[in-house]
Amino acid sequence: MIKKAITVFAILLVLAMVSGFTHTNPLQGKKSETSISNHSVTNSNGQSEAEQGIARFWEFTGFANVTPGHLIMLIVGLVFIFLAIRFEYEPLLLIPIGVGILIGNIPFLQNAGLKVGIYEDGSVMNYLYFGVKYGIYPPLIFLGIGAMTDFSSLISNPRLMLLGAAAQVGIFATFLGALVLGFHPAEAGAIGIIGGADGPTAIFLSSKLANGINIIGQTAAGDPVYVKNLIGPIAIAAYSYMALVPVIQPPIMNLLTTKRERLIRMKPPRAVSKLEKMLFPIIGLLLTTFIAPSALPLLGMLFFGNILKESGVTKRLAETSRTSLIDIVTILLGITVGASTQADVFLTEQSIMIFILGAISFMIATAGGITFAKVMNIFLSRDNKINPLVGAAGVSAVPDSARVVQTEGLKADPSNHLLMHAMAPNVAGVIGSAVAAGILLSFLL
Amino acid sequence: MIAKMTFDFSAIDEFAVTLAIVGYVTVFAALVLLFYIYSLIPKIIDISVRQKLRRRGKHKIAEKENLSMVGEENAAIAMALHLFFSESHDEESNVLTFKDSMRSYTPWSSRIYNLNEYYRRP
Repeated sequence: MIKKAITVFAILLVLAMVSGFTHTNPLQGKKSETSISNHSVTNSNGQSEAEQGIARFWEFTGFANVTPGHLIMLIVGLVFIFLAIRFEYEPLLLIPIGVGILIGNIPFLQNAGLKVGIYEDGSVMNYLYFGVKYGIYPPLIFLGIGAMTDFSSLISNPRLMLLGAAAQVGIFATFLGALVLGFHPAEAGAIGIIGGADGPTAIFLSSKLANGINIIGQTAAGDPVYVKNLIGPIAIAAYSYMALVPVIQPPIMNLLTTKRERLIRMKPPRAVSKLEKMLFPIIGLLLTTFIAPSALPLLGMLFFGNILKESGVTKRLAETSRTSLIDIVTILLGITVGASTQADVFLTEQSIMIFILGAISFMIATAGGITFAKVMNIFLSRDNKINPLVGAAGVSAVPDSARVVQTEGLKADPSNHLLMHAMAPNVAGVIGSAVAAGILLSFLL
Repeated sequence: MIAKMTFDFSAIDEFAVTLAIVGYVTVFAALVLLFYIYSLIPKIIDISVRQKLRRRGKHKIAEKENLSMVGEENAAIAMALHLFFSESHDEESNVLTFKDSMRSYTPWSSRIYNLNEYYRRP
């Protein structure tokens, strides 16, 4: 008990001494004049070198530099980690991003040459952020996605591809919404892609269109006006909503479908031959990249990964792409995207507007897919009807939205499994959002 | 903050509308094109399969409207083959028989080995 009391007293004493020195900032204040007398170094305030050291140490701690913004972002980071662990919402993404938010928002003395901040040239985080800023990580993620995705559900029932196209309405509706809220067209395009519900595509497009580097005009004095750097908010919004797909989508699905529609049983998919599986990535690559060459880094890598998988002769490369490589890139992408939310850069009015627009775009995309499935049903025979719930999977978010469709389908009929059917529009959505990104890029760059 | 939001609908100019419409139509066109091509591929593959079947004299199967199989059928056949090839040796006659031993004494039936050397009646 006495030991504890002494320890607490000692800590309080040290804190009291340190706080007494904080009125002098060795870096921001006037340069202290020092004089040497009787083997001790003192400054004009009468502080010894040791006291100056402690004061300097205090200035460098997070406690001295903390702002309400930092605390808000730290709470956001902790919420991300909580959601990932407690509810298992996309834990592979939310844990790295959540920890990244914590790392990026530890307060430190700015401009002190510490080189620790993600936006400081020469810092380790800045080097890792290079991959986000210049759109290097997204194509590598797409390579892994291509190598792990089985497109057979899509090949066996290609008409479901149209649902993946229909859901992209969210991208273009959000683009218009962002323009109305006063964003520059390039920024609006990058924000719109959140509606594609595809993290890597969102990062890729925002790194090209809203990167803080491109010049979008001139001031009256002739100085260049740069586009805003929105990579952080857009990536966080995209990944947050992707993780929250199980929360966002079900109410819209229930609102737009009747109980009878939710009970529709779809024909089981036919078996797909090996030849068809091998032809799919080759034809897909040639066709989509001819239509939108700007999306080549994404679509090229996606179909390349799928060729590695389906060719059957490059098993080692396919295995590396879908395991080690994508894991490494996901770690780096997650941690840097999280760290890019440094409070002073992230906590702005624009970020809040981006989050609002992102939520709306997810809802519009979900509604677009479901509504189109209902429209298709008008023209389809009774035996070939589509369960409209499947349309919700048209918003990429692989495979979470397909999983939500399966769950909602089972709620209506516990023996009606929609997962395989939902995977078709789900992967078509990935292709559709990448094509949309290419189109936006060629219009707005 | 939200109250500060301003809505400028004049920002939706001709360029923005064109982009939105052309962009959406192009995404649709790309996937509709893929849809037609992937709908066509199985039909092309079926032509060669039908020719092969006819060459082998299996005209009845070759004339079937739908040559494709459902994945569930494939799974059922694969499961049956798997059971046949890997687990057939486990099948037993389930008939119990007694066989008399030729020798009258073996250590297995010796009573002395069934008792502990240090066994003591309590």
